[in-house]
Amino acid sequence: MSEIELTQVKVEGRLSRPSTPSRITADRTARRAFFVITLFPILLILIITVALFVRAMPILSTYSLTDLLFGEIWRPNNGQFGFRPFILGTLWVTAVGIFLAVPPCLLASIYLAEYAHARTRAIAKPILDLLAAIPPVVYGVWGLLAIVPFVDDVLAPLFDRWLGSTIPIFSVTQPTGFGILAGGIVLAVMIAPLIISVIFEVFATVPNDLRHASLALGTTQWQTIRTVVLPQVTPGIIAAIVLGASRALGETIAVLMVVGNVPKVPTSIFDTAYPLPALIANNYGEMMSIPLYDAALLGAALVLLVVIIIFNILSTLVLQRFLRRK
Amino acid sequence: MRKKTLTWLSALLVLAVALSACGNAAPAESTVPEVEASASSDELSGTISISGAFALYPMMTVWADEFSKLHPGVQFDVQGGGAGKGMTDTIAGAVDIGMISRAIKPEEESQGIFWVSVTKDAVFPIISSENPYAEQMLAKGISQEVFAGMYITGEITTWGQVIGDPSDTTPINIFTRSDASGAAEQWAKFGGGAAQEDLLGIGVNGEPSMVDTVIKDPLGIGFGNLNSIFDLSGGGLVPGIIIPPIDINNDGQANSDEIYTVKEDAFGAVANGTYPSPPARFENLATLGKPEGLTLIFIEWILTDGQQYLEEAGFVPLTPEQQAESLAKLK
Repeated sequence: MSEIELTQVKVEGRLSRPSTPSRITADRTARRAFFVITLFPILLILIITVALFVRAMPILSTYSLTDLLFGEIWRPNNGQFGFRPFILGTLWVTAVGIFLAVPPCLLASIYLAEYAHARTRAIAKPILDLLAAIPPVVYGVWGLLAIVPFVDDVLAPLFDRWLGSTIPIFSVTQPTGFGILAGGIVLAVMIAPLIISVIFEVFATVPNDLRHASLALGTTQWQTIRTVVLPQVTPGIIAAIVLGASRALGETIAVLMVVGNVPKVPTSIFDTAYPLPALIANNYGEMMSIPLYDAALLGAALVLLVVIIIFNILSTLVLQRFLRRK
Repeated sequence: MRKKTLTWLSALLVLAVALSACGNAAPAESTVPEVEASASSDELSGTISISGAFALYPMMTVWADEFSKLHPGVQFDVQGGGAGKGMTDTIAGAVDIGMISRAIKPEEESQGIFWVSVTKDAVFPIISSENPYAEQMLAKGISQEVFAGMYITGEITTWGQVIGDPSDTTPINIFTRSDASGAAEQWAKFGGGAAQEDLLGIGVNGEPSMVDTVIKDPLGIGFGNLNSIFDLSGGGLVPGIIIPPIDINNDGQANSDEIYTVKEDAFGAVANGTYPSPPARFENLATLGKPEGLTLIFIEWILTDGQQYLEEAGFVPLTPEQQAESLAKLK
């Protein structure tokens, strides 16, 4: 006991240790408090979903769910609220972003975790983390100034010459650099640091004994990584990709600055798209005076939430199956 | 022992800071009546809260500054947020005045919204000065039908159609605004549409991006507000853009009063009505019910002495008739 505590106890008039039952009560109270605090985020998700649902009710009760989810025309002033272009736009941009980000991120994190010198790692890691700290709006401006012209001047002619005529998904459909590809590239750079740092941490959890045992058998370093380390960390890699994808699904400002915002169902990576977050950000607060528009936008938010929840549930299932198989 | 001293010291520090904060706060509160007392020659005092259209926001801050100089007892709380926010805030009674950069809708009037026009603004088409067809456009102009074909119906997709040469199939890169904006709504109305959602084209986020995008794209066409396409201090257009003349009288020629290269010409054409409306538009202030008291005095000041600050900020002052009309409406 330090001096302070002693004096405090003396002030109370008796010098004794707290009795055991009171300590148990304190422990129990603390446990309950922690439980409530843990429950809070879970409740928050429920509250948000319910609130969105209530606010979107006017539109959900006016139109059938199939009309809303599969309708292709977005003309709120004519009472047409088709979310399909937005849902597909969200998925297209996210898919392109993930597709571009995952392979290089995986290789970079393997290098950092397995090959790199401690000094290289000490320099490269903070710089990569810094990429994650750049505000999305800065990425958006960079996309506008650098990526959109790059897609327009370099990638579009390239794809047009080699792939466009044969594979519709790569056909150059419009002559500006705005579109899914530009959005995907910006997203890929934005989510890269997240994916790299998660995969890197996962690699660090593999015990060194395994590596040493494998190397002692005469394998090369790459063989060790491929046959010993990678099977151990596959769930972690999946988790990292899911994290990146969740981040990409919700990314708003950086994407809306370069994606073109045309509410049409995309057919090619050079098409423009209109992701759900962009729809909400562009119109929220501006159209409140039009009946149903407000409800439609909150409906869009609900759809986005549902898409992300479904996505997370699916990936959790994949992860669990993988772990069980092992 | 040392720990104890530290504890005491830190407690003292906290106390000192708290006390000093109180000490600061107390006189600040007591100075408010003093200001009113010193401004006894001017009995105006109070706070006016305003929110709404970004287009009007910079103008409103100038007005608020100037008005506060005349009446030191008046405080302003000016926020942006967009015309929709201004409208909802006004209807909810959260602000005294809403800045609305579009026409007021009937369903808004039915909720008790009263409005007056305080300035005129206009949307102009813009192309890059690198545009290979600029010469022909400056000679012939572009008719309203062609704009409608580009932006609303989608019938016009090539520059050949614009200049009347069917063999030229160079595509037009049509740009619109992705964020909800009064400018886009006016532009849609000019093309015969009803709302921003009727506009075709690639959506660019925000007015500055729109101007930059058009500057960089020789085959692009977009539109912008007066105050973003003219260099307000120099009086010329922002370097890199041209206004393709709208052929207002449909004679197949761009006449001298249809071509705007300096601020004065464009402002003049908007003010005297030569430039069609839409795309010219009145910017409005909305209140819940007829304005009274301080709010009324402020709006009347905007319609009279406040008009002198408009041009510098890229807005067109009301003509004397329009001024009289707005003032009569307030009575």
